[in-house]
Amino acid sequence: MQLTRRNFFKFMGATGASVAVLPSSAQAWQSKAPPDPYGCLVDLTRCNGCRKCEDACSTVNELPPPIKDVCDCTVFEKKRRPDENAFTVVNRYFSGKLDELDKPLPVFVKIQCMHCQDPACVSACIVGALTKKENGAVHYDVSKCIGCRYCMVACPFEIPAYEYHDPITPRVRKCTFCFDRISKDGGLPGCATICPVEAITFGKRNTLLELAKKRIKDNPGKYVDHVYGEKEVGGTSWLYVSSLPFSKLNFPQLPEKPSPKLSETIQHSLFSYLWSPILLFGLLGGIMYKSKKKNDNPQDKGGA
Amino acid sequence: MNHKASPLNRKFWTPGVFVMLVFMIAGFVSIIARFTGGIGYVSNLSTARPWGLWVGVDVATGVALAAGGFTTAALAHIFGCHSYEPIIRPALLTAMLGYTFVVLGLMVDIGRSWAIWKPIFFWNTNSVLFEVAMCVMIYLHVLYFEFIPIVAEQFKNKVRLPGPLALLNAPIDLFLKIADAVAGKIMWILIILGVVLSCMHQSSLGSLMLVAPTKIHPLWYTPILPLLFLTSAFAVGYPMVVFETTLVTSSFKLNSEMSILTPLTRITTFVLGLYMLLKLGDMFIRGTYVYLLDGTYQTNSFIIEMMFGIIVPWLMLVSKKVRQSRKGVFIAATMIVFGVALNRINVFIVGYTSPVSESGYFPSVGEIFVTLGLIATLMFVYRFVVTFLPVLQAPKEVSS
Amino acid sequence: MIKKIIFYSGFMILVAALSMAQVWKAPDQEKAKERAKERVKFIKDYKDEDNILRKIALIEKGISLDDVKNNYFLLDSPIIKEREDHYGPVRFAHKRHAALINDCTECHHYRPKDESMLETTRCSACHQDSFNADHPERIGLKAAFHQQCTECHQEEQNGPVTCTGCHLKNVPDHKDLVKLADNSDAFQVTAECLRCHDQAGEDMLKTAHWNWRGPSPYTVKHRKDVQHGKGTTALNNY
Repeated sequence: MQLTRRNFFKFMGATGASVAVLPSSAQAWQSKAPPDPYGCLVDLTRCNGCRKCEDACSTVNELPPPIKDVCDCTVFEKKRRPDENAFTVVNRYFSGKLDELDKPLPVFVKIQCMHCQDPACVSACIVGALTKKENGAVHYDVSKCIGCRYCMVACPFEIPAYEYHDPITPRVRKCTFCFDRISKDGGLPGCATICPVEAITFGKRNTLLELAKKRIKDNPGKYVDHVYGEKEVGGTSWLYVSSLPFSKLNFPQLPEKPSPKLSETIQHSLFSYLWSPILLFGLLGGIMYKSKKKNDNPQDKGGA
Repeated sequence: MNHKASPLNRKFWTPGVFVMLVFMIAGFVSIIARFTGGIGYVSNLSTARPWGLWVGVDVATGVALAAGGFTTAALAHIFGCHSYEPIIRPALLTAMLGYTFVVLGLMVDIGRSWAIWKPIFFWNTNSVLFEVAMCVMIYLHVLYFEFIPIVAEQFKNKVRLPGPLALLNAPIDLFLKIADAVAGKIMWILIILGVVLSCMHQSSLGSLMLVAPTKIHPLWYTPILPLLFLTSAFAVGYPMVVFETTLVTSSFKLNSEMSILTPLTRITTFVLGLYMLLKLGDMFIRGTYVYLLDGTYQTNSFIIEMMFGIIVPWLMLVSKKVRQSRKGVFIAATMIVFGVALNRINVFIVGYTSPVSESGYFPSVGEIFVTLGLIATLMFVYRFVVTFLPVLQAPKEVSS
Repeated sequence: MIKKIIFYSGFMILVAALSMAQVWKAPDQEKAKERAKERVKFIKDYKDEDNILRKIALIEKGISLDDVKNNYFLLDSPIIKEREDHYGPVRFAHKRHAALINDCTECHHYRPKDESMLETTRCSACHQDSFNADHPERIGLKAAFHQQCTECHQEEQNGPVTCTGCHLKNVPDHKDLVKLADNSDAFQVTAECLRCHDQAGEDMLKTAHWNWRGPSPYTVKHRKDVQHGKGTTALNNY
């Protein structure tokens, strides 16, 4: 081991310098959410389960056409999830109420990527292939992706799907918020455009939030007093209002804290400017130097 | 100093090696299937369950159990306890092979194996995985560098390639000499760097799951998960060395090295005790003990981890009698290794619940074959290296 | 010679008649088409009154069924078609609906704030393009139609509730889609249909129309058959 006094002091100096930087680096976690993103407000009381949004989505994103059955009712028999061939799906739930003909009243729920304000997937992505855009879209860049699927682990909504059957170039697949379309002036997402009853309202998230609250306030008997996505995991670009409690509609119950907050706080307070590794390096160097001096009988250096 | 490592010079093709070969072939076939039919063709992974056996065992457990490398290096070289040097080379070899196979396991698991270089250029400093990947990548190279003197010791001035390859003898020899000289000069940097990098990624491996607070069972999801991972890596380092040294020395009928292993396990009692205190304290402070009697497979797995992986072996090692008995030390070490391995499996697989879908996950035959195949290959290469390179302690006399 | 003259004169009369004859078009349909194409100025502000006040206002102004000027509308607005165009126009019998419901406020739920404007305005005056950023609470014309129609049809259990119940499907012009040689035989024609509509072909094989077998004593040449049917002995099977 060639640990000389000069080398050692050089490192100790670097350590001291890095510790001096420390206080400025240990700052509180800050949300990186865009200030005025677009969003969509899904009003589940309006949705009638026509599944046109699925059609539009597959056309816009060049996906295989959604499953068609002889009758739409059989499609709803199974709860479906978005997958690599369908970025959005509509499921049917029953409210427990009956209509005039004693038929159970259905509630239809469209599922897609929620486009979180502080997305866990974006924080997790090892190469930054996933990014939160200014216009609200959580965008996936396949050219950077290595396929580690950490985004899927991180997502609290279980949304990103994977082309598991592609051996060499599989992609992560999820709703794009029609990024290319909404980037253009006056552009709309495919599903919002086609929806015949405007169950999906496209607009600025802040406006939609007010709109959602106004709808609830104007019809307190019709809606539950909860805008899903307002506060869940720090807020999502997609918002939902519903006549049934969201827990009955298979929406995950989530904390208000953004998912990446804890891990990012730990990472940045430990590793910004690499202060802790440098400190540890200096410390260990010091110990090594001292212990070497103590038993200064020559050892064979190839031991390690 | 009477420690001098030397090649084993034993017959290589033993029945055990053939058993390994069978597993290797099964694993190889599964890997071929993965690279022709896709991950979905051989595994039970899904949208709800994106990480399974390969990440939980091949990567997370692999990294944890390779902790013997940096813990012994720190002990012998940094803290200057030179009596431990006989175990450094086997521990280094284990670490080097362990990390190599972590990367190989990753190559199978990530969808675009050919793109594994991309994190070097595309940085996301918010990503815990990015930091882990960088550390593992650099550390792997540090380990290779640290290993150069062992190769050089055996082959310097002795490179004799057969036939036409003999032309390369001189260049390879020169390369070895230069590499050995360089490695010798910077060895102290490499050793400290190895320890620093290990501390970084061992702890960050725990931070990996912190990004999914709603998915990990509260028994394991704690803000101090990185600290727990780090202390458990410290705790498992020496038991892993004990475990493999005992296996190797008894199967090759070498010296039992008890004079080293007994003091090693004494250190372990402190580190393991600290880990135990942290884990118990965390459980009581966050009040997660309320889950203990749930009776689900998750809580049962936690109880097994705590009891048989931490508390029982700790109690065993506290006793001086156990520490001095070869059998006792081996059993306790095995239990600790099992406990830490189970902890990694618990955090990455058992404790993971998908938020919407029911995802009862059990690894498929293909996944198991890949994992077993990789482990068998690791053992095969270990066997190969200790046979031909000076890693293990030369036997003074044949004793069992 | 005479034959020739007769032939030519006959031919010329025919051509003249053809060129002069106009295809008869329904006048109300034409009027509705014209009206459907119109775009009117967007009404920004409406008078916010509740349903009962609105009813009283209409009674006070003496507005009743007799004031319905347009009996028939074609719902085919360019406002909707600009964005999406999947279905044909909807025929809407205005007066019939008015007579059935007998409550104008059911659809004419608000009036423009500007008092000089008509009490009952058309839907597309207030409901135009979707997602108007200045009026986020105002739904677009398409949603206004669909919400109004389907909700009422469902509640009253009267009137169509499926897409094709009101719309005709937008069938693309098959002139360029069908690729057939001039003298194609029946098999080639069927094959060409199946090129796109293979599912229809599959479905056809499961219908009674195809699967029926039985005696057919009144069919020429098949009077003695006992297993006659499309799938067996009929001419145009495929």
